[in-house]
Amino acid sequence: MATEKRNTQATSTGAKDELAQAAARPAAHAASRAAASESDAGRLVLENVSARYGAFRAVKDVTLAVRPKSVTALIGPSGCGKSTLIRTINRMHETLPGATVSGSISLDGVDLYSANVDPVRARRVVGMVFQKPNPFPTMSISENVSSGLRLTGGTSKSEIEGIVEDSLRRAALWDEVKEKLKQPGTSLSGGQQQRLCIARTIAVKPRVVLMDEPCSALDPVATLKIEELIRDLAAEYTIVIVTHNMQQASRVSDETAFFSMDDDRAGYLVETGPTAEMFTNPKQALTEGYIQGRFG
Amino acid sequence: MQMDTIAKLLTQPTASERSRQRVSWVMRTLVGVSAFLAILPLVALIAFVLIKSAPYLVPSFFLNNPLDTMPGILNAIVGSLQLTGLTVLISGPIGIAGGVYLSEFASPRVVAIGETAIDVMLGVPSIVAGVFAYLVLVPVLGFSGWAAVAALSILTLPIMMRSTQEVLRLVPQAIREASLALGVPVWRTALLVSVRTALPGILTGVILAFSRALGETAPLLMTARGTNAENWLDFSTTMNAMPIVIYQYAAAADDLLIGQAWATALVLMAIALTINVLVRGRTVNSRTA
Amino acid sequence: MAGLELQRTGGLSADSLFRRITGTGLLALGIALAGLIVAFVGYSNPLWAIQSPVDFLTSATWSTGTIDENGQVVDALYGAFGALFGTAATSLIAVLFAAPIGILAAIYLVEFAPPRISAPLTFVVELIAAIPSVVFGLWAAGDLSDRLRDTIEWWIALSFGRFIPFLSEDPESPAADSVFRAGFLLAIMILPMVVAVSREFIRSVPISLREGYIGMGATKWEVIRDVILPTARIGLIGGVLLALGRAIGETVAVTMVIGNAEGVPTSLFQPGQTVASKIASNIAEASGEVAIGSMAALGLSLFLLTTIISLAVRMLIRRFAFTGGRA
Repeated sequence: MATEKRNTQATSTGAKDELAQAAARPAAHAASRAAASESDAGRLVLENVSARYGAFRAVKDVTLAVRPKSVTALIGPSGCGKSTLIRTINRMHETLPGATVSGSISLDGVDLYSANVDPVRARRVVGMVFQKPNPFPTMSISENVSSGLRLTGGTSKSEIEGIVEDSLRRAALWDEVKEKLKQPGTSLSGGQQQRLCIARTIAVKPRVVLMDEPCSALDPVATLKIEELIRDLAAEYTIVIVTHNMQQASRVSDETAFFSMDDDRAGYLVETGPTAEMFTNPKQALTEGYIQGRFG
Repeated sequence: MQMDTIAKLLTQPTASERSRQRVSWVMRTLVGVSAFLAILPLVALIAFVLIKSAPYLVPSFFLNNPLDTMPGILNAIVGSLQLTGLTVLISGPIGIAGGVYLSEFASPRVVAIGETAIDVMLGVPSIVAGVFAYLVLVPVLGFSGWAAVAALSILTLPIMMRSTQEVLRLVPQAIREASLALGVPVWRTALLVSVRTALPGILTGVILAFSRALGETAPLLMTARGTNAENWLDFSTTMNAMPIVIYQYAAAADDLLIGQAWATALVLMAIALTINVLVRGRTVNSRTA
Repeated sequence: MAGLELQRTGGLSADSLFRRITGTGLLALGIALAGLIVAFVGYSNPLWAIQSPVDFLTSATWSTGTIDENGQVVDALYGAFGALFGTAATSLIAVLFAAPIGILAAIYLVEFAPPRISAPLTFVVELIAAIPSVVFGLWAAGDLSDRLRDTIEWWIALSFGRFIPFLSEDPESPAADSVFRAGFLLAIMILPMVVAVSREFIRSVPISLREGYIGMGATKWEVIRDVILPTARIGLIGGVLLALGRAIGETVAVTMVIGNAEGVPTSLFQPGQTVASKIASNIAEASGEVAIGSMAALGLSLFLLTTIISLAVRMLIRRFAFTGGRA
């Protein structure tokens, strides 16, 4: 796989140009973190990424530059490999039996698949929120939030308490749960559970947060709350969100990438661009058809 | 901490991370070793039984009775098949009927009570069933095949009731409702739709109960007791059975008898394993508690 | 109109007949259960006429007494403490070995083994459960027991025997049979049950929870330790309890290797007896209603022990089902 990666990096000059563009575009909220250097922006670059389940190729040659500290939505019909693709970014894809990834994914220039990057470490830097809220049922609310911190150790009890509160505040959940931090995470409502999972994810201070249809199991009110939260979090994190909901994509994202499926059922990237442009004036007929079909 | 660059976070392992990875590796090894240990007994047992029994597996072993000049265990093979066969014939229909009742008719309250009774009966040790038959039936019927069949039936009844109920539970309610909506009476629906759909699973339960009864020893020692004579279908007197032969010959001081105990164990094990391979091989993933 | 009515009553009565026939099946099970209870309580009654249940449970003396000049049995005392002790010791040894190895093996089958290996391996483990216990007994008496004596037992006696008399053994002449070896044999026999039940409950832990923790940067073992084992905990305990019940009731295999010695052994590496092995080896000689009563009392104690375990497992597993393992 290593040699394959090297080859793709050397040959994909077209992708390099796009990268240069993406890097040149100033991040919308970079000012809020002046201390962070340009090399610590959370710039995610995918080059010729393919993902397979055994012999089946679910994602084909995706090249995509994700703008730092913004929200990028991945949209497209069911089964076009969007979820598979974001699972390659934090190296979750390879945990399934027979699943493989080729191509290159880098974060601020560091190849996430290089030999000196341990997948366990990569997942701390690239956090993930899942489709179904999945608080750990045997842990309390505060234990859920601190679970990632306790794994690595080296954080004192009082520090942990502070981070738990801070994370819950950022996830807009603190006021609802501050009285019952010792209760199991599963005692919360679905929307609260998903915000708990977001708090849990940001507690370990990742640079990128991946969200795999985070609202698909929630009612409209809970969905709106999560969407607001996503907008707030974009000030600090690079967010990639998979969604089936066109309105949601248009509400929360800065950039949109549209995926489709070829004749072999392999997902590929059709086009990408600023969300407003994609929804009003897409370049590809395929995109236009999908978006209009969905909007009726 | 916030100030660490991504490059540093991604590429530089911390001390705690190294030890975490080491623990994960050690546990992974331990878990694999445990799986190996879990199958080791089967391998060792089969190998041993094969080696010890090989010299005694001659035609006369299968064709003659214990007192013949070339002694064999024919009467035990015949006895075992008769005892377990009759046990299944008696407890099978009763168990299946009870399972059908629990799944198709019983109110939630009866289901709760019935399931509790099944759980308790499933946990009854075979010796308890044996003592029961010894105390209650042997004084009346004497040491006999009937007493043995009664003891074995106590053990197989809950197995078949549980397996019947569980496979019937897997029959989708929609199929039943479709039949009832066509005006088919409840009893015909239960038999022709539910039981028919679940029949392979129900039969699996019956066969596994047969296999379980075939290996039972303690209840037989107190009831059928064993004999050197060949007994065809006379359940009112003592009968021989393979588990009895193994148990009694194992304690003998005679090399031939000990060898025949191993050979009988091989036959018994071969039957039990063949049944299980055939049945479970088809319906992998069946859960019998 | 009349025809319709006829048909309706006809259908109803066929239904209720079928209902009654199948109901009889369940009733038969209830009668068997009630019969067991009535018989054991009834037949053990004559024993309580000459001694109290407390003596039965606490005395280690088992004496059928002597016959005095009037032809009366005197000085009989049926104390089952030795047998109860042996049952507790063998089944605890069995669980001590089988629970950790069985649960770890189940973890391997579900979490680590590729499907190509997992399916046949699971199958092989389940096959062990199909082997009749008398075959295990023969194997143990003819080979395994000696091997255990010369390896694990020898090692434990050498390491701990000096400080703990209960784990000591004369290295020159180890006993021909021992409680420990019977317990270890039971461990092998209950292992498939532990593996099968544990596997079932470990598998039932949702993938979303595993992925959630992996996504937090947990190693595979951390996922097992912090998420899978705590979530499946109740089911794992239930499985071990079920296996314990099986070990308590196991008879012939134990009888063939434990040595059937009276009283409480001075060391785990000495021969002993269990409640079940005592019944198996004494019942043929029991004559007279008191002696028979003592056998019924032993049977009753086994029945009560296993019933308590069955009910406990039932309650545990129900709680698991209701709370999704949160309780």
